[in-house]
Amino acid sequence: MLKTRLAGALALTTLAMPLAFTAPAASAAPVEISFARFFGACEGDYGTSTDVPAARGECGIITTLINKFNADNKGEIVVKPQIMEWNTYYDQLTARIVGHDVPTVAVMHMAQLGDYVNRKVVLPLNDLFKEAGIDAGDFTDAATNGVTVNGKIYALPWDTHSWLWHYNVGLMKKAGLTDADGNPVVPKSLDELKAQAKKFKEATGKPLIAISTTQDVAGPARNFYTLLYQQGGTVFPDGPDGDANFSSPEAKKALQVWADLYKDGDLTPALDYEGATAGFINGNAGVYICGTWLIDSYMEAAAKKDTGLSDGYYVTAFPTLLGKPAIWADGHSWVLLKGGLNDDNKAATLKFLKYLYDNNLQWARTGHLSIRKSVIDSAAFQDLPFRKNIKIISEVARTLPAGTPRQFGIQQIVGEEFDNVMLTGKSVDDALADMQGRVNELVSAAR
Amino acid sequence: MSLSSARSASGTASRVRAGRMDSHQFGDRLLLGLVILLAILWTVPLVWVLGLSFKPNDVLMHSTGGILSAPFTLKNYADILASSNVFTWILNSIIVSGGQTVLTLVVCSLAGYGFARTEFPFKGVIFALVLAGLAVPEQAIVIPLFKMFADINLHNTYAALILPRLAVPFGVFLMTQYFRAVPREIEEAALLDNASRLKIFLVVVLPLSIPAQATLGIYTFLASWNDYLWPLISASKPEMFTLTVGLASTQMNFAQSEGIGFLMAQAIFAGLPILILYLFFQRHIVTAVAGTTVR
Amino acid sequence: MAFADLSRSRPVRAAGIARPSWSNLLFVLPFLLLYAGLLVYPLFQGMWMSLHDYDLLSGESEFLGLANFIKLFRNSIFLGTVRNTLWFVAMTTPAFVVLGLALALALNRASRTGAVLRFIFFGSSVLSVTIVTLVWRMVLRPDKGLIANVLEWFGLPPVPFLIDVHLALPSIAGVTVWWIVGLPMMLFLAALQQIPQEIYEAAKLDNAGWWRTLFSITLPSIKRTVILVAVIEIVLQFQLFGQAQIMTQGGPNNSSRPIVLFIYESGFRDWRLGYAAAAAQILFFLMLVAASLQLWLGRRRQGGEA
Repeated sequence: MLKTRLAGALALTTLAMPLAFTAPAASAAPVEISFARFFGACEGDYGTSTDVPAARGECGIITTLINKFNADNKGEIVVKPQIMEWNTYYDQLTARIVGHDVPTVAVMHMAQLGDYVNRKVVLPLNDLFKEAGIDAGDFTDAATNGVTVNGKIYALPWDTHSWLWHYNVGLMKKAGLTDADGNPVVPKSLDELKAQAKKFKEATGKPLIAISTTQDVAGPARNFYTLLYQQGGTVFPDGPDGDANFSSPEAKKALQVWADLYKDGDLTPALDYEGATAGFINGNAGVYICGTWLIDSYMEAAAKKDTGLSDGYYVTAFPTLLGKPAIWADGHSWVLLKGGLNDDNKAATLKFLKYLYDNNLQWARTGHLSIRKSVIDSAAFQDLPFRKNIKIISEVARTLPAGTPRQFGIQQIVGEEFDNVMLTGKSVDDALADMQGRVNELVSAAR
Repeated sequence: MSLSSARSASGTASRVRAGRMDSHQFGDRLLLGLVILLAILWTVPLVWVLGLSFKPNDVLMHSTGGILSAPFTLKNYADILASSNVFTWILNSIIVSGGQTVLTLVVCSLAGYGFARTEFPFKGVIFALVLAGLAVPEQAIVIPLFKMFADINLHNTYAALILPRLAVPFGVFLMTQYFRAVPREIEEAALLDNASRLKIFLVVVLPLSIPAQATLGIYTFLASWNDYLWPLISASKPEMFTLTVGLASTQMNFAQSEGIGFLMAQAIFAGLPILILYLFFQRHIVTAVAGTTVR
Repeated sequence: MAFADLSRSRPVRAAGIARPSWSNLLFVLPFLLLYAGLLVYPLFQGMWMSLHDYDLLSGESEFLGLANFIKLFRNSIFLGTVRNTLWFVAMTTPAFVVLGLALALALNRASRTGAVLRFIFFGSSVLSVTIVTLVWRMVLRPDKGLIANVLEWFGLPPVPFLIDVHLALPSIAGVTVWWIVGLPMMLFLAALQQIPQEIYEAAKLDNAGWWRTLFSITLPSIKRTVILVAVIEIVLQFQLFGQAQIMTQGGPNNSSRPIVLFIYESGFRDWRLGYAAAAAQILFFLMLVAASLQLWLGRRRQGGEA
């Protein structure tokens, strides 16, 4: 009896084989645009919804935007999202480029763009923008800088995102750290922050600040870069060939500040990204240092009853703690990869890019800054919550130097060593020395 | 070996031990008790995760403590059914594992018969070279393999996911051993009837090798189903992910934490196909995995 | 040449069944083609690549000689991965042998309970690595993890299994044992059942106790299997990848990064294929040495006693 079952199973798989090897036949009518992105999958909540204004969060907004575009262009264009994970996105995108199997449109961080442009796998877009009716003159300066390499534009900017302090107003009030309007008092110096942290711990028994330090390298690297920039420091010299330098007093101080906060119990211990992001909703700290993309989700949580944020949510740009106003920033953008565009899909792809450009305000609802001057100046954008508090980002944002290759790998190293200082008690000097050694080893091999 | 023969053998063993009933029986009970306790510990993680998968995400956000108390929900599973990814991945895994199994059986049976029962020039040398390949781990060749498949634009296809494992000489080794044990007289009788070697192989020898085929087939299917490194490298498009790689991708997710309950439901759902197979074919799977390695 | 071969062997083996013929090569040809193309060629290609600086994305390469290997031996991260891998093998292999054997001895029984228990202990091995990591990441989390919940119940603080430098790799080792201890258990069970019952009958007549029977009969009879299990586990555990990649990403402070993860990261994150290929050659070499050493030790011990 078992044999027959086994034989049946084998027969089934044999039948499946020819199917497996036949490429899916391309249907005649609609042009297909493959669209590689991260931002998560949320078919469960937004599977077929085309109601963009009702969608919330990065995933909801991008999903409904695509659904709407597909509905508007029914029978002519189908955008097929290929949702990949943030962590392995560039590994996989690179593998696809090498394997000559590229998506038509792909998301890319502006800090990453240089590596791909240098290897000549990204299409320049100046002429295509003209054809599509996209006005590059409306891009903000940060966005223009982010997508321009050697004088040419290589990507359609999508947002500028930066590093914020998300506040749990209820807990801040409990610690007596709110002003007359009931808003949290944002510290203006490191000393003020430390005093706040002390007061907060006495009142609530909790650490003032939540950050992710476990299996997360992006957040830690941003924390480090921000404090480095606030002292006017940098680890990357101008010019593409110089070695990275992590031995400056600024670098040491940037890491030391975090190490001290951690040691004093003013940072949440050992949370990974998900733990920190969810923990903040549960009221585990007064401040969560994280990105622009969480604003809308936290507004949603604050509107509900019985969450840790029910007593109020507030957000502001990363405060200036070490003198000069500066905050780490990066941006998402859309690129066309070489080999992805052809005569058949060109018109449809340009139409899609124009659609994304036209709907930039929708994306800015996530909390990201719009990349269009006209949107930022519009009443619709300025009426979005807290945008007054984060508008300063467009002035003080510091993006990673475009000339330095392998930014993703460098971020990995910087973040790992940052985490090591927090979690393993590795000394600040050792961590900086290892950053320097590992980063230069990586950069020396890059071309 | 098979467990049915194992049973009678160990039956004898316990009868043998029955001589020193009292102390032995006590020791035996104690040992069994300990092992049962260990087995319970062994299953606790899975049971707990099963429990979590029936809890609403927002409850789990606060606490994962009370998995036995209400509220319960089927929403996590409904969400899996609504988002088609897991199904695509399961289908991919079935196609890849099934294809690999069938092709391995065909290729290895032919080669095993060739090495065991036919003569051709340089056979000894060739066989030795093939056996040497047993020592080569997958990791030593993935980088060049990746490059090769990239050069011929074959990544993100079923062919790329299936082909590399077909070159592993293990199955050839196994089938050669097996065919060597088939009595020669059976073939010689057929040869007198002037049948070709291929016909003898197909009609006479192959049917005799069904047990070995089952063993190799199950082993290959399992190994392929659980393969991780190569599919991770070769399949870079979500629609080509196998289940193993797809699940890895959902665990590393960054901005969108889809909720603990959903993730746990995914673990359970993804584990079900293979666990059901295991339930039905337990003895054969055990025999295959243990049997192939013993040889 | 071929013809000469044929004519020479024909008179010797007149039976016909063993007649050498080039046409018989057709039986093995499909496999040989796959083998040559997908194993032998990449093996040598990998060695060749390891002598180059090879950029994944641009495809440009430059001959370096042994520079990649020299760099690797000076790279503290890589040396750390070698140390981690060896340590992991040293932790898991004895655990697999001892626990696998203990379970096999305890479950070598005909009862239904025995069958159910064997089913349980082997069951986790059919799960894929990503299901195992999904489950265990959840169990081990310091916030909301199963173990943390239990500890909290007793008023104890959570243990940061995957975050502590000293606990991360042992935790991965523990998870790995949970995952696939069923395999050595089954191998030992198979071996135990090969032991002729007459020997046990004789031992019974001698009034030998359980421990004496174990040490003077059972263990010597399955010595070959013990060596086999050790070799299999050494080879398998050298290939540690998925558990570490997903559960700790090699951290904290490089304490759980295995060689294979280093290969993966060098190749696919840092785009340095030559460097990755060089690390792969070193892994291959280490595995050959470890497995041969184990085999040699096993043989020597056997030879000495015989």
